[in-house]
Amino acid sequence: MNTNIIEGIILLVLVLVLYVVYFIRGDKKKLKDASKKSAKMFIQNSIRLFAIFVIIAILEKFLSPKAVSAFLLKFSGFAGIIIGALTGAVMMSPAATSYPIGQYLLAHNANYSLVAAFLFTWVGIGVVALPIEFKFLGKKFTLLRNSFTFIAAILLAMLIGALL
Amino acid sequence: MKTILKDWAIEITILATAIVLAIFNPSKVGSALISATKTYLNLFIVIVAIALLSSFIVVTIPKQAIGKIIGKQSGVKGILIGALFGTLMIGPAYMFFPFFKELRDKGAGANIIATTIGAWAIKIAWIPFAITVLGWKFTLLFNALIFVFAILSGFFVGAFFKE
Repeated sequence: MNTNIIEGIILLVLVLVLYVVYFIRGDKKKLKDASKKSAKMFIQNSIRLFAIFVIIAILEKFLSPKAVSAFLLKFSGFAGIIIGALTGAVMMSPAATSYPIGQYLLAHNANYSLVAAFLFTWVGIGVVALPIEFKFLGKKFTLLRNSFTFIAAILLAMLIGALL
Repeated sequence: MKTILKDWAIEITILATAIVLAIFNPSKVGSALISATKTYLNLFIVIVAIALLSSFIVVTIPKQAIGKIIGKQSGVKGILIGALFGTLMIGPAYMFFPFFKELRDKGAGANIIATTIGAWAIKIAWIPFAITVLGWKFTLLFNALIFVFAILSGFFVGAFFKE
């Protein structure tokens, strides 16, 4: 079975336990407020997330793993790290999808550093999710966190390239 | 009406983009819609849990309580809690942004949230798979460096927030 579903159930059970404990010991009116609020939040989050899932799925249809790997194999050295990091930032599928691409790249003599940069920004930066981060966590936070992540991706890639 | 438009500007833009693309390439957009629906159903339980948890925190937890555990001044303990939470959680990080917002409103430090999002790049459940595909040397070094990065990211972002 899918790990998302199993871990999702664990998370949901933990949250429900929280509700039950609070129901027994706490303020029942507050709990009612929380349930109402969560219904609204669920609908809003669902719409926002579904929109992102659609964009990601469209990206996946147009940027197949094959096309992306063929593109990345054209680069090496420092340019490879930068292009790898930028490409990874655009890609947004689950991390597990990125590993076979990394494997393919390594098998075709790509540098470890390029692969590291690509895999790191794949999960660390999501261009498509930037508007959401912006909305919920603020402009300053989003800018700082993502620029730091991009620079870190380059340093991490060079470090891995030097060590492996 | 104006606020609704502003509030949902991103989603409306995505919808418009999808419609335009669908005119040129209906089959690709069609299959993209199916795969988006699959992703949604796959993460449905987590989305429900996040909504329940976020609103529970909004309604029942006093403002200072969260700040004490993962506030900006919570020190090593707060940073480690943030890093561990990010490491263990599943699904895309952006799914949890509304939840992080509620935590921030209740006093969670920007540094801790940045560390959590940074550590999200570690996918514990997928490490065995990553090892078989990418080799153990690369996988372990990669994940160890991400953990260090996550903590540094917290320090960096935190340095710019007074709170």
